[in-house]
Amino acid sequence: MLRPWALLGWIAAIGVAAPAATPPAPYPVVRPGITLRFPADHGAHPAFRTEWWYVTGWLRTEDGKDLGFQVTFFRTRPPVDPRNPSRFAARQVLFAHAALSDPTTGKLLHGEQAAREGFGLAQARTGDADVAIRDWRLRRAGNGRWTTRVDADGFGLALDFQPTQPPLAQGIGGYSRKGPRPEEASYYYSVPHLRVTGRVRRGGGTIAVTGEAWLDREWSSNYLAPAAQGWDWTGLNFDDGSALMAFRIRRKGGGTVWTGGSLRRADGSMTVFGPNDVAFRPLATWRSKATGALYPVSQELSVRIAGGVQRWRLVPMFAAQELDARRSGLPVYWEGAVRTRGGRGYLELTGYERALEM
Amino acid sequence: MPDAPPLLAVRALGKSVPGPRRLFRHLDLEVGAGELVAIIGESGVGKSTLLNILAGLDEADEGSVAIDGIDLSTLDETARTRLRRERIGFVFQAFHILPYLTLRQNVALPLALVSPDYVAASTRAEEMLEAVGLDGRGDGYARDLSGGELQRVAIARALVHRPALILADEPTGNLDPETAARVLSLFADAVRGNGAAGVMVTHSDASAAIADRVLTLGAEGLVERRGA
Amino acid sequence: MAPEHGLKSGSGLWSGRLGLGWLIAGEWRFHPARFLLTAVAIAVGVALGFAVHLVNGSALASFDGAMRGVSGAAELSVRATSPLGFDERLYPRVARADGVGDASPVLRLDARIGKARLTLLGVDVIRAATVTPSLIGIRPRGPDTGNDTAFDESALFLSRAALTQVGAKIGTRLVVVANGRSVPLRVAGTLPATDESTAVGVMDIAAAQWRFGRLGRIDRLDLALSDRSIAEPALRAILPADAILSTAETQNAQGDALSRAYRVNLDMLALVALLTGGFLVYSAQSLSVVRRQRAFALLRTLGMPRAGIIAAVVIEGLAIGLVGAAAGLAAGYGLAWAALHWFGGDLGAGYFGCSTGRVVIQPGAAIGFFALGLLAAILGSALPARVAARAAPAAALKNAGDVLDPRRPVAWWPAAVLLVAGGAASLLPAIAGLPLFGFLGMALMLAGGVAGVPWFARTLLTPLARRTRGSVPGLLAVRHLHGAPGEAATALCGIVASTALMIAMATMVTSFRGAVDEWLNQVLGADLYLRTTGGATFDPATRTRIAGTPGIARLAFSRQIPLTIAADRPPVSLIARPERGGRDPLLVLIDRGPPVQKNDALPIWVSEPAHRLYGWDPGERITLPIAGRTQFTVAGIWRDYGRQAGAVLIDEGDYQRLTGDDRRDEISATILPGADPAKVARAMTDRLPADLRPQVEAGQPATLRKLALTLFDRSFAVTYLLEAVAILVGLAGVAATMSAQTIAREREFGMLRHLGLTRGQLTRMLATEGAIVGLTGALAGIGLGLVLSQVLIHVINPQSFNWTMTTRIPVDTLIGVATALTGAAAATAMLAGRRATAKSAVQSVREDW
Repeated sequence: MLRPWALLGWIAAIGVAAPAATPPAPYPVVRPGITLRFPADHGAHPAFRTEWWYVTGWLRTEDGKDLGFQVTFFRTRPPVDPRNPSRFAARQVLFAHAALSDPTTGKLLHGEQAAREGFGLAQARTGDADVAIRDWRLRRAGNGRWTTRVDADGFGLALDFQPTQPPLAQGIGGYSRKGPRPEEASYYYSVPHLRVTGRVRRGGGTIAVTGEAWLDREWSSNYLAPAAQGWDWTGLNFDDGSALMAFRIRRKGGGTVWTGGSLRRADGSMTVFGPNDVAFRPLATWRSKATGALYPVSQELSVRIAGGVQRWRLVPMFAAQELDARRSGLPVYWEGAVRTRGGRGYLELTGYERALEM
Repeated sequence: MPDAPPLLAVRALGKSVPGPRRLFRHLDLEVGAGELVAIIGESGVGKSTLLNILAGLDEADEGSVAIDGIDLSTLDETARTRLRRERIGFVFQAFHILPYLTLRQNVALPLALVSPDYVAASTRAEEMLEAVGLDGRGDGYARDLSGGELQRVAIARALVHRPALILADEPTGNLDPETAARVLSLFADAVRGNGAAGVMVTHSDASAAIADRVLTLGAEGLVERRGA
Repeated sequence: MAPEHGLKSGSGLWSGRLGLGWLIAGEWRFHPARFLLTAVAIAVGVALGFAVHLVNGSALASFDGAMRGVSGAAELSVRATSPLGFDERLYPRVARADGVGDASPVLRLDARIGKARLTLLGVDVIRAATVTPSLIGIRPRGPDTGNDTAFDESALFLSRAALTQVGAKIGTRLVVVANGRSVPLRVAGTLPATDESTAVGVMDIAAAQWRFGRLGRIDRLDLALSDRSIAEPALRAILPADAILSTAETQNAQGDALSRAYRVNLDMLALVALLTGGFLVYSAQSLSVVRRQRAFALLRTLGMPRAGIIAAVVIEGLAIGLVGAAAGLAAGYGLAWAALHWFGGDLGAGYFGCSTGRVVIQPGAAIGFFALGLLAAILGSALPARVAARAAPAAALKNAGDVLDPRRPVAWWPAAVLLVAGGAASLLPAIAGLPLFGFLGMALMLAGGVAGVPWFARTLLTPLARRTRGSVPGLLAVRHLHGAPGEAATALCGIVASTALMIAMATMVTSFRGAVDEWLNQVLGADLYLRTTGGATFDPATRTRIAGTPGIARLAFSRQIPLTIAADRPPVSLIARPERGGRDPLLVLIDRGPPVQKNDALPIWVSEPAHRLYGWDPGERITLPIAGRTQFTVAGIWRDYGRQAGAVLIDEGDYQRLTGDDRRDEISATILPGADPAKVARAMTDRLPADLRPQVEAGQPATLRKLALTLFDRSFAVTYLLEAVAILVGLAGVAATMSAQTIAREREFGMLRHLGLTRGQLTRMLATEGAIVGLTGALAGIGLGLVLSQVLIHVINPQSFNWTMTTRIPVDTLIGVATALTGAAAATAMLAGRRATAKSAVQSVREDW
């Protein structure tokens, strides 16, 4: 969900702040009251400023070992002059990020790709999901099965995702608020409990894997409040078929700007969390030797459900799941596989090395 | 004549120069310790050449030269140089006092060529300067001295390393008769006093008179002149 | 008692060190000036050599830095062969080629901001981030941060150098002029990772293509490789004719190739100064040895070994070398700093653009030049030392000075052998584009010339010496020199060496300058020239308007663009002019191909450097990367001193048909008789579009010619300077040797005064001698110099710079040098003579040494 800001930060790092000489075509504003339509909404929404396809999940090898993975494709529309006829014009820019967490080594492998759309080297299609940069690709076939191919330095993923549940519209029918102002929002749906089959390349060898994943789809034009320091997010697949998503946007200097989330049970019944319904409490921290950032890698998640409060203790697969890609100009964040009572999922922690400047 | 083994022994020496002329042949000579021999002769009979052969600076065509029992013909160039350095002293007609060295350094030069011991060389040179009546002049330079004084420095230099053989080539040729007489007697005393063998080449009868023996060099060798 | 005398072991050199030390110290104390002068001679040589090397090295380093600054230090690049670029659709094919990890497309423009010139690069910030991170700007720290306009089309990032030259700050809005268009941009940040001295700007590639009229074209693809051995063949297979593969090395090789010959020549020139210094040491030590002949003989008699004499002289040389070389290194560093500070890295030759480097310390070069200085001093001493040691002590004690028999003939054959060997070596071809054999030949001929000086002096003086009449001083002077040619030669060899080299250089430069001047006169045949700057061009409409300017008789438009033929060579200039029909004044043909057949390939005329560099002969068919690959027939070779990297001339019509490029950047106009060129120029400028006007320069032939010759002189300024220093060292040598010789003959003068010569007569005698020595040296030096100049003109120049010329002899310089040398020698001999004859005659005769 909010994760792509990490990637946006990269653009900010290499880019510069200056109003465009010619006002670009205005970005559509996210408003409540839409209906998600599939498969069209699986595909790109190029008019919006940002959009992402985000898959995280747990894998199990044939010899019973756990692995965590993340594959993200991210699209942005920079404010360029639409009249520029150049083939290089940055009408759409795509980013991709992939990671593999291996508890036996205690290490996280990751790789990234980025490109302007065009020249057949990178594109995000409309109509149905098909987004690719060079040989990295995430698409949805006509039979509803999603596939991804990622070939990074040191590892590769070739995974198929079979949906077992219908898409889960977040917020109000897909309109998900991110801040106190109504336009601080995104269109957001998830597909939890994706059944994973495929192969993972690590070092020299390739192994077969199975597992369960979570897909997040989100597009928007406007972002969170300037007061935001970063966020904590989690998406959990429970063994009983229910799925929980929760996030907290942290305020600079402490405190919370906004929270949200939802719980969908196996029978399809939904609870949507409001701005006062979610709390994260750090249980254990881990300091990165590489960046010096201190992450609350283990947290207690509390949500208000039907008048009561439910608590889950989120325990990481291992502590060192920080993505330090500063060498490529990326910001630093923590994206890790976590276990909890009766389920598993991913926890994301951003803005801990320094505030994300958005 | 003292009955000691000769310090210089020359046997059947012969030398020609390029062309038909021969300088001398069958030349025999023995000079003992403390003995000064004068060799006289006309210009061009080979007096200086004989002296050069004795010093190992020139080579004879025939015969042998032995200094202190060492046959020169058995020595190579390096060894002859070394022999000169250690056992022969020289006095020249033209003094040859190096102008850019102090008098003490000039006198000490033969020692300095053998050993780096500066103090020993200086002390000995000062002794020698005293012996030739130039005590206290060691820090002076050649340009401060008269001809007679220069030759006295040369005599001091010739004896400073206690050579077995002292060779003098017209040592008084550049001096007035009075000075010459004084320098000569000093030279003779020095040779005798040091127990060296002295050979002096001159064309002056007056100079030769100071010697123990006077020999005349001719084409057939040396002829001893008695009396005078 | 015989065998135990112990006389066989060792020469006693070490145990005799005290005596040796006295000997050397005494000489130093009594002749400090001689030591200092020789040390200075070595110091000058080392300083010049080291300075030139440092400056060149620093310039090259900054050139490399500039190259890296603009190229972003990509491992491998695909580059366009001309500024027309190549089709951008090559990009995905290259990006997907085997072995290629990533490809970063780059648009490259020569741009101008105000008066500052810079290289403007259009990049895709994403691709450049992985391939050439140094070409990415940083985010400025300020209140305006915080959005994602990495693709802001008006953002410009400037390197530090560009920022300083432009005088802008971050946030400044400015107008960038390139490719004839003016685009307002905003300075968004700096390029901290680029070379400090490189003026480069970076902006978005799409904006650059659009705003500067380069849609569809790119100039470069910087590559990150996963496997180079796979990538190179894969890329070669897909590259079109207008693109080549180029590496950082080939880029540097380009810069290196252009200036290498110039740099090597300067190095050689500096070594000449060192060589002259070596000769000076040789002269000084030879004379000192002659003077000390009897002292050495005495020491030999007293028992100093031969080696001791050699050691004494060589240790003196070593001391001279150590002092001189150390001082030389320090002075060289200072010189290099000053040269970089005031002349720039190319020493004014214009090879490295405007980059000003710092002095880059080169320990290897420092050690090398120190060793060379030491070697020159030691060799200069070792030869006289050997001569001194060889002298028979007994004879030397009695005779002073030159013991040569005046009737004995002087050997001429060593000189002849050396000269012939030198001539033969000069005929050998260049090695790796450097005329190494040419320099070897020059060195051999120089040695031969110096070796031949005794013979030359004897031959020259024999008729004079036969004379029996004339003034006594004159006769004495001639006889003295005739009787002792060895001594005269010793004094002369330094003079001859430095004069010869100086004359050779002067003759070469005069010939070159004359040739350039003549060529300029032929080439600048029109009355008026207009050309654009900063990539602006005259489009067809503008040209029509200009053609209608009153007062113009004839107009010719031309286009000149760089065209890369080989990745490691600098691009040649492709010039398009109306060539068919009508004589083109630009074309001074020096060779012509057979008449072009109708169905033959298009005619092309190649410049002399292009002909020599690429081996394009008249009548030959060649393929050039113009509009893909096009076949041409070489119709002729034309003289060109302007473009060292070569140029090819193509007919305007052919060019336009092949490339579709209808722009021109130069106009040559012939005006009607009676019209005022300045007025016509103004009228023409007025007819230009307003935005083009500031980008056009007008010039008249006289001004252009003057400008060209000024540039020529500037590029040879350092050559002149080095020459002047060589001649000064030579003159110092004359002074030193003449005075040393004269003082050595004090006793002779005393004797002559006893015989009744007046001091005046003695001075006249010395002046005559000095004049004869000087004149002999000058004549020998000039003769040798003219021979050497032929090697420079016909071997070194064509092999280094690929152009030929005819010899022009600088008569004025020759007369001046001869006069100066003769005068200097006579004057120093007289001055020294005055000192030598000042003492009373009696004292002089009595003086022992």
